[in-house]
Amino acid sequence: MAYLLLVDDDEDFAAAAAKVLRGAGHEVHVALDTDSAVESMQQRRPDLAILDVMFPESSSAGFDLARQIRQDIKALRDVPLLMLTAVNSRFPLGFSSKDIDEHWLPVDDFLEKPVDLDLLCARVGDLLARAASQRPPRK
Amino acid sequence: MTMCAMASYTLPLAERRTAPAASLPAGPSPELPEGILLRNALWFCRLRWLVLGLFAGFGLLGLAPGLLARAGLRPPGAWPFIAAAVLLAANVLALAHARGAARHLAAASTNLWAQIINDLVVLTYVVHHVGSLETAVGFAYLFHIVLSCIFFPRRWSFLVTMLACGLYLGCVALEEAGSLAQAGIYANAALREQMDLLPGVRLAHVGWAPFTWIVVWYLAAHLSAEVQSRDRELAETNRRLLAAQEERRQHMLRTTHELKAPFSAIHANVQLLTKGHCGELPAEAHAVLGRISTRCRRLANEIQEMLQLANLASATEEPPPKPVLDLSQIMRWCLAQVAPRAEERQVTFDADLQPAPVPVVEDHAKMLFGNLVSNAVTYSHPGGHVAVAVTPEPDGGACATVADQGIGIAPAKLPRIFEPYYRADEAVRHNRESTGLGLAIVRQVADTDGLRVGVESEPGVGTRFTVQFPGSDPNPVAEGKEDRHGLSPARG
Repeated sequence: MAYLLLVDDDEDFAAAAAKVLRGAGHEVHVALDTDSAVESMQQRRPDLAILDVMFPESSSAGFDLARQIRQDIKALRDVPLLMLTAVNSRFPLGFSSKDIDEHWLPVDDFLEKPVDLDLLCARVGDLLARAASQRPPRK
Repeated sequence: MTMCAMASYTLPLAERRTAPAASLPAGPSPELPEGILLRNALWFCRLRWLVLGLFAGFGLLGLAPGLLARAGLRPPGAWPFIAAAVLLAANVLALAHARGAARHLAAASTNLWAQIINDLVVLTYVVHHVGSLETAVGFAYLFHIVLSCIFFPRRWSFLVTMLACGLYLGCVALEEAGSLAQAGIYANAALREQMDLLPGVRLAHVGWAPFTWIVVWYLAAHLSAEVQSRDRELAETNRRLLAAQEERRQHMLRTTHELKAPFSAIHANVQLLTKGHCGELPAEAHAVLGRISTRCRRLANEIQEMLQLANLASATEEPPPKPVLDLSQIMRWCLAQVAPRAEERQVTFDADLQPAPVPVVEDHAKMLFGNLVSNAVTYSHPGGHVAVAVTPEPDGGACATVADQGIGIAPAKLPRIFEPYYRADEAVRHNRESTGLGLAIVRQVADTDGLRVGVESEPGVGTRFTVQFPGSDPNPVAEGKEDRHGLSPARG
């Protein structure tokens, strides 16, 4: 079981996704905006964060949050990030490539919305397994 | 597939997208950008090679004994060679300066002014030797005056005109004062002596040329200013049109993207119900959810296609890389994607896929093939075959064909099938679910990637699409291009 943070301003989608992820045995916390997401992560480090891109406060708030996690908050730097969007470097959808370049925006995976919830569970499982295999063994 | 009376249509190749040409900046007295100045400086240099050749040629003719004398002219002696040599040196220096470090407005401007002053001085030297009063050579100053009116702002061209007048009048004055020896190309010196008889005639002769130049300068500068003003207006209108078009695309992109949000929530909640996360449902409820799910899937496809189309139309500023990939593998991937739908419609594939490595944008090729194969399946009759082929071309390119035995397209409708949302009546009758965007995406991919797409069809017999992939990238990505941060408000 892992502790997941789901950051999405769409409460209906977030509730549905959280229900399925909880059904898969994970503990899920939902944050409906990026500020409360940062606050939540600082209080308790998630094993994985699932981020939407577009928020009412900014069309690219999800990208900004991903950068903040990777670059500004040392304790969260290696939290696996799964981004929920059709946007990626090969399919930029009007975003500048600097927003979505893999090196500049090092998220671990993308999943296109509308999301197949079974696929979401599978992808979360894969990312958690990958993160566990990369983690140094505890002494 | 046997097609006897097939009509065909080939998509016209899109014009290569380039940055707008440099245009004159707006304002009542525009300073010319260094790019235009440098271009003009180089053009002057090329023109000067011709003039230089003429001088050298005339000098060589003068070396032939008695040749010019027979035409009533005096052998010129050394002056044409001197003029040619000075022009040669000036040209070499100007070219070196323009192609070297001259990348600033001040440097380009200095280059051009140095050339103009040098030309006018050399021209005055030539005018003196050809005959400042007894010949019409003085009107050669008009070349410089008119060109300066075309290329320069009004005050610059006026300066050139005044410089020409000053040099010419100075030359004549020095000749009259005896400081410069009498010269001229006419063998009969009496011509000039006759003009010296009457001071009024002489004055009119001397004054007429500068007067004409000033009038020509006024007319040419005025007309040129009008044309430049229209140029600026046109460039501004064009810029606004492009900006408005881009804004519309971006708006559509955002709107379409926004549409996905509520749809995602509906889709996710339907999944909760259908996958039993909320407990068991009666059969009738499952049927209702099935219908909702189907409509959701259709809406998803439509949104996806709208996004693809808007994205393709918008993403022109930073063209994606084109690695060399095997087209047959991409086609194989697309066939696998469409296979469930083909099976549902009892349509079989007949694939002849040969390895064909070409530079290609993988996602674009997948969109293009995916739409063509999906269309072929959709408009086939149950039990039909779709023939798909990928073959390498001798020039390093590749050709892909997708041919069905479906309903076909009437010849008059072929040119319209690539328009967004266009659907022929028979296509609507055959399949109500299509969005009408698939072939618009195909066209957009062809436009973006420089591909040639052709279609042949006959109603009731079938349709064959052919896509030619070039062996080399017609629009290579510019190296070292700087990306911008944040959302790009104006692409394309």
